[in-house]
Amino acid sequence: MLKKEQSDLLTLTGPGTAGGRLFRCYWLPALLSSELPENDCPPVRVKLLSERLLAFRDSEGRLGLIDEFCAHRGVSLWFGRNEEGGLRCPYHGWKYDRTGQCIEVPSEPVESGFCNKIKLKSYPLVERGGVLWTYMGPADKQPPLPEWEFAQVPPEQSFMSKRIQESNWLQAMEGGIDSSHVSFLHRGDLNSDPLFRGAKANQYNLKDSRPVFEVVESPGGLFIGARRNAESGNYYWRITQWVMPSFTMIPPRGDHPVHGHFWIPIDDDNCWTWSFDYHPTRALSPGEVAAMRDGKGIHVKYEPGTFRPLANKDNDYLIDRAAQKAGRTFSGVEGIAMQDASLQESMGPIVDRTKENLVSTDNGIIMARHRLLRSVKALMDKDQAPPGVDSVHQLVRSAAVILPPDKPFIEAAKDALVVRAGTAHASV
Amino acid sequence: MQSESARAASAAEARFRIDAPNSQPRSIKVIALDHPSEAIVKRLATSVWGNTSFLTTLASAPPRDAPFSMRGWLADLAGHTKILVDEIEHADLVVMIATAGENIESASIIGEACSLKRVMTTGLVVTAPSVPGAELSRSLAQLRPWALMLVVASAEDYIADMLMALRA
Ligand code: FES
Ligand SMILES: [Fe+2]
Repeated sequence: MLKKEQSDLLTLTGPGTAGGRLFRCYWLPALLSSELPENDCPPVRVKLLSERLLAFRDSEGRLGLIDEFCAHRGVSLWFGRNEEGGLRCPYHGWKYDRTGQCIEVPSEPVESGFCNKIKLKSYPLVERGGVLWTYMGPADKQPPLPEWEFAQVPPEQSFMSKRIQESNWLQAMEGGIDSSHVSFLHRGDLNSDPLFRGAKANQYNLKDSRPVFEVVESPGGLFIGARRNAESGNYYWRITQWVMPSFTMIPPRGDHPVHGHFWIPIDDDNCWTWSFDYHPTRALSPGEVAAMRDGKGIHVKYEPGTFRPLANKDNDYLIDRAAQKAGRTFSGVEGIAMQDASLQESMGPIVDRTKENLVSTDNGIIMARHRLLRSVKALMDKDQAPPGVDSVHQLVRSAAVILPPDKPFIEAAKDALVVRAGTAHASV
Repeated sequence: MQSESARAASAAEARFRIDAPNSQPRSIKVIALDHPSEAIVKRLATSVWGNTSFLTTLASAPPRDAPFSMRGWLADLAGHTKILVDEIEHADLVVMIATAGENIESASIIGEACSLKRVMTTGLVVTAPSVPGAELSRSLAQLRPWALMLVVASAEDYIADMLMALRA
């Protein structure tokens, strides 16, 4: 259970809210690079943290993320002409550069310099690892650029997708660290999904469906270890990373690419689920990339021309009761991503946490909320930067390892839990 | 026409969620396993909780050479001896609190009793960043066989939040 006031502190992320201030401490993924493929391409509407923005790539390839609406009479600059180093409003021709500075007001004499008085709010937009990142906080607090490993490896080693999720970010993120649902909701997928099957360790999962959990605070967030029995008295550990506010990395299987998510608020009722897959030391195979594009693993198939999943609430997620009855899927919904999203959306836009009955195995979720609330408080009261801003906190990896029974995973798997460039992830 | 799921998941529909309790109070036992943890548990006990009791193993641990007995391991915060098996018999959850680096041999006694009575256990280790890894490891190793959920927290304020989350 969480009090309504506490839930509000984390779930509401618009301008002026505490949760919004937290998210405005970080570089956030805003768009895929492929959404702005070339100079002077069409601008793209972006809504983040309840702010309507417009992203564009100008004639020199410079990126901008500005207020969506023209300062003159408020039309959407999405209809604008992207040409000659700026975006021109189609209504009366006012023109803006990528910082939102108005550089032309055709009705006024140039000499008057009137256009200097007009500036739209804008945020930095930078490209890294196939993603365009933005920082929406105060300029003097702008942190160093994001260092996540998936965005640092060569492009052929990494794949990124995003999808709209029609729920608040927090219940989506909580699903990412809810380790005890995997043995139920996703039980059908371990042996069938091309991005999971064949790993030696899958047998431990299937043999032992009641793992024991250890939740340990990490510098940037949490380690969530799930322990199962392996051969000769050893333990099979799956260690998930959560880094504040909403990055998770799922433990790998065999030599499959390792994957994870970001959950980024669009507004209080919707969020972007970003899903990355990468291999630290090798290119993804054509087969892997094809599977990811086809919506396998943690990715989805889309409604054509959109980032909305093909299975969505308007078609009851294409639920297949026969598949559910036959045990091919546990919930009747196909694919890991939509199995999660369908249930998280079913909670309603913002789940009522005063009605929930958490149990011990939910300590990962309880601890994540605790750390988020503690960080929001330190930020509001003492202006203290939250965990996860420091790039050291971003240089982490999830891991799947076999350890002797007397070794805590934080000690024994220490090296496996941080990025070691040129070394493969620890996986069984 | 809107699908069932689209309508049901809307904010408007959320207003019609039944507003009645969906659980009964649980019985939780919070047990300090060492001296610093006893101080933590005493601080916790000053807040108002539902069906939760706070206990300690420390005050009454029998002398090492005494014959083994399940009695006399547990005391309430006023120092009155409690009978371990009776205390946990009807508990829904036993939370064992330990401080990294302290000796917590009573974990096995309590854990054994809980496993006998099929009571859910959570082990919670509070550790300052300055505590050496080896000491934390020792505490974890002592708790691990008996805790179905193990949490390592950097500060004691987590415990109150956790108990609240569990409707203690
Ligand atoms: S069993 Fe967990 S939400 Fe229903
Ligand atoms: Fe899931």
